[in-house]
Amino acid sequence: MLVELGHFSVVIALVLSFAGIITPLIGLKTRNATWVVVGRRAVLSTFVLITIGMFILIYSYLVEDYSVKYIYATSNSKLPIFYKVAGLWGGHEGSLLLWAWILSLYCALATLIHWKSQPVVMPYLILIESIVLTGFLMLILFLSNPFERIFPVPLDGKDLNPLLQDPAMVVHPPLLYLGYVGLSIPFSFAMAALFSGRLGEEWLKATQRWTIFAWLCLTCGILMGGYWAYYELGWGGYWGWDPVENAAFMPWLVATAFLHSTMVQEKRKMFKVWNLFLIILAFSLSLIGTFLVRSGILSSVHSFAADPGRGVFILGFVTFMLVLSFGTLMIRAPKLRSQIKMDSMVSRESAFLFNNLFFLVALATVFVGTLYPLAMEVLEFQKVSVGAPYYNAVFMPVALGLIFLMGVGPYIPWRKSSSENLKKLFVIPMLFSLGMTGLFFVAGVRKPYALAGLAVVFFVLAAIFLDFNKLASFWAKREKSNRFQGFFSAYRNNPRRITGIIIHIGVLVMVVGIIFSSMYQTEKILIMKPGEEVNLQAFQLRMANLYGVKGVNWTGQEALFDVYKEGQIITQMHPQKRFYTVSQTPTTETAIYQTKMGHLFVTIPEVAPDGSWARVRILHNPLVLWVWYGGGIMAIGAFMNIFRRVRKNRMPVTDPAGMVPEVSANIPQPTR
Amino acid sequence: MKRFETWHIFLLAGLLALVVLFYKGLWGDPTALPPVIISKPAPDITAPALLEAKNISLKAHLGKVVVLNFWASWCLECKEEHRFLLAIQKRFENNPDFVMYGVNYQDQEKLAKEYLQIHGNNFEHMVDEKGKISIDYGVYGVPETFVIDRKGIIRHKQIGPVFGDVYSNIVENVIEPLLNEPA
Repeated sequence: MLVELGHFSVVIALVLSFAGIITPLIGLKTRNATWVVVGRRAVLSTFVLITIGMFILIYSYLVEDYSVKYIYATSNSKLPIFYKVAGLWGGHEGSLLLWAWILSLYCALATLIHWKSQPVVMPYLILIESIVLTGFLMLILFLSNPFERIFPVPLDGKDLNPLLQDPAMVVHPPLLYLGYVGLSIPFSFAMAALFSGRLGEEWLKATQRWTIFAWLCLTCGILMGGYWAYYELGWGGYWGWDPVENAAFMPWLVATAFLHSTMVQEKRKMFKVWNLFLIILAFSLSLIGTFLVRSGILSSVHSFAADPGRGVFILGFVTFMLVLSFGTLMIRAPKLRSQIKMDSMVSRESAFLFNNLFFLVALATVFVGTLYPLAMEVLEFQKVSVGAPYYNAVFMPVALGLIFLMGVGPYIPWRKSSSENLKKLFVIPMLFSLGMTGLFFVAGVRKPYALAGLAVVFFVLAAIFLDFNKLASFWAKREKSNRFQGFFSAYRNNPRRITGIIIHIGVLVMVVGIIFSSMYQTEKILIMKPGEEVNLQAFQLRMANLYGVKGVNWTGQEALFDVYKEGQIITQMHPQKRFYTVSQTPTTETAIYQTKMGHLFVTIPEVAPDGSWARVRILHNPLVLWVWYGGGIMAIGAFMNIFRRVRKNRMPVTDPAGMVPEVSANIPQPTR
Repeated sequence: MKRFETWHIFLLAGLLALVVLFYKGLWGDPTALPPVIISKPAPDITAPALLEAKNISLKAHLGKVVVLNFWASWCLECKEEHRFLLAIQKRFENNPDFVMYGVNYQDQEKLAKEYLQIHGNNFEHMVDEKGKISIDYGVYGVPETFVIDRKGIIRHKQIGPVFGDVYSNIVENVIEPLLNEPA
C-alpha cells in the first residue's frame, strides 16, 4: 500500500512538472507574474513528491518488501543496512529516480535562492528545469518503473551486484549525478539569458558557485569511481578509458573549460557566445552520457542491460534538448558578437583561449575514442575496441599542454604583455624546472613522457610559488605584517583566485601520482603454489597458504602471503577469490599494502578447483596515493571557493548598457 | 534568422550524424562477438599434440566427421562433461570416419597432463599454444564443442558442457546423421 503511495506521488510529480512547463510560458505570454508563482509552487511540490516516492522506496528496502520487482532485483535480506539503502541506485530504474530527485532538488534550491535576486531568470529556469524533469519522470513511469510489483512474491531478493557492495560504490553514483545534474542550473541560466536577451555577465556571476559545485561533485565522483575500479575490480589501475568513464569525463572536460572561460567574460566581456556554447555543450554531454550509460550501446565494464525501447526514448529526449538548446543559441548568437578584439596573442585572454582550445581537443580525442567502436559497428566494419595506447598517444600531449598553461594563464597580464614582463615572470620557473628535471634524470627517470611531465609540473609549481610570494609580500607591506599574515590578507581579498590556485596545486600533485604510478608500475603474473616465493622490486612475497573462506553471502578462497623486505617480514596480505552464492557471481578481492605513498597490490584472479595453486597478480604502484591526495586538494580548493565570503564593497556595475534587458517589458514581476 | 553561417551547418550536421549513429547503435549488441561460424568451412589447424611429440593437422581428416572440444584443466564445467566426452569417443571409436580431438586452451602443460591422468582419457589432444585456434573458432570460454562434417564444414557448436540432454542431442541428432551422410 505504501509503495502505491510512493508510485502515486511520483505520478502527481509528473503532472506538476508538466504544469511547471506550462505556467511560466503563460506567464511570459500574458505578462502576468502570478503564473510564475504557480510554476514555482509546482516545482517545489514536485521536489516534495519525488522525495516522498524515494523515501518510501528506501523504506521498502529496509523492510525487505520483495514484492517490488526492482527491490527484488537489487537487494537481499542478508545485505547489511548500508547496502540495502544503496540498492536504490544499484540498477537502472532506481538510478533514474535518483537522477530525477537530484534534478528537482537543484531546481527547488535554485528557485528559492535566486527568486528575489534573479526575477527575470525565474520563469525560464522553471521552464527549462521542468522540461528536463518531465522527460525523466516520463521515462521512469512509463518505461522503467521502480515501483512495479511482482506476483508471486519472492521469498528473498536476487542480491545487489557484489561489485557494488563497496563503500566507494555507495557514494560514487550520487556524486556523479550531483555533478551531471548540477550543470543543469548554469545551463538553465544560460538558456534564460538567450531567451530573455539579458546577455550581460550577470548569469555567469549568479551561477559561478553552482557550476563549481557541480564540477566538484563530478570530480569527486570520477575519482571515487577510479578508486573503486582500482581495488574492487582488481584492475590495478584507476583509469581504463572505459566508455562509461569517458561519459563522465567528457562533461568534466567541458565544465572545466567553461569555469575558465567565464573569467574572461567577467573581466573582459569577451567569449560571450563561446561561454553559452560551452555550458550548453557541457549539459548536453551530461545528457548524452546518461544516454550512453543507460541505453547500453557501448561495451563496458558497466554492463547495464540494453533495452532499445528505453534507449529510443532517451535518445528522442536528448535530441529534443540538443535541438532546443543549440537551435536557440544559433538564432540568438548574432546579437552577441563581442565588440572587443583581442589586443595581443601574448596576454591572459589568449592563454585562456588556448586553455579552451586544449580542453576541446581533449574532449574531441575522448569523444572519438569512445564512439569509434560504435561507428565501426554501425557501418558494419569489423569489431574494434579503442584502448589505452590510443589515448596515451593522443591525450597525453594535450594534457601536458594544459598543465603548462596552468603556469602561464594565471600570471600573464590581461590585454598585453611585454617581453620584459614575460622574462620577469617565467625565467625563474623555467630554470627551476630545468634544474629539477635534470635532477630526476640523474636519479634515473629516463622515460621521455615522465621527464616532460615533471618539467611542466615544476615549471607550474615555481610560477605558483613566485606568485604567492609576490602577493604575500605586497599585502605584508601594505598591512605592515609578516608574509604569512600577508598571504592570508591576499586570500581574504581575492579568495576566488587563491582557491583556484589551490585547485591547480591539487592537479599538480595528481599529475605526479599519475606519472609515477602508471609509467613506473611493475607487474608480475604467475601461477603459485603454497610455499613458493616471488620477488618484485624490493619486496619478496611468499605464498604461505591457500585455503577456503566463507562470508555471510559468499564463499571463496583466500591466499596468505608473507611479505618480506630486506629479509624482514613486513606484513601479511590476504587476497581473495569470492563467489557470491545468491547472485552466482565471482569477484576478486584485492589485498593492498601501503608503502610510502605507493601500493603493493595483490590479487588472485583464478584458483585451481582443487585449491592446489592460484594465478597471482602482483603490482607495485609507486606514488599512487598522490592521485587521490591531489583529488582531495582539488576538492578542498573547490569547497573554499564555494563557501568563500562575498566581499562587502562590491564594485558597481561598470557596464550598464549590457545590463538593460531588451525585452524587459515582457518580464513578469513576482508578487512576493 | 537571417542566414546560415558556416558553424551552424557544421554543428547541425554533427548533431544529426551523432543522433543517427546513436539510433543505429541501439539495435546492435555491443557484447556480440563475430557471428558464429556454423555452416562455414572449419579453419585449418596444425598444432602440437599434448601427449605425444607430434603435430596434428585437421586437413588430414577431410572426409571424416570431426569433433573438437576446447577445454582446460582449470575449468570446472569441463570436469563435469569429461565422462560424456569419453562416452562419445567410446561410442564411435570403431567407426573409421570419426575422429575427436581435445584442444587444450590457456593452460599449463603439466596441469593438463595431470588432469587427463586423473579423469581418464581415450582420445587425442592438441595444445592451443598462442590462443590462435580459439580465436579462429571464435571461442570465448571453455568448454565449447564443435562438430565438423565430412566436407570440412562446421555444422554444430555447443557452448558450455556436453552432458545429459545435450549429450544425447549431439550424439543422436548431430554426429550420427553426419556419419550417415555420403562422403
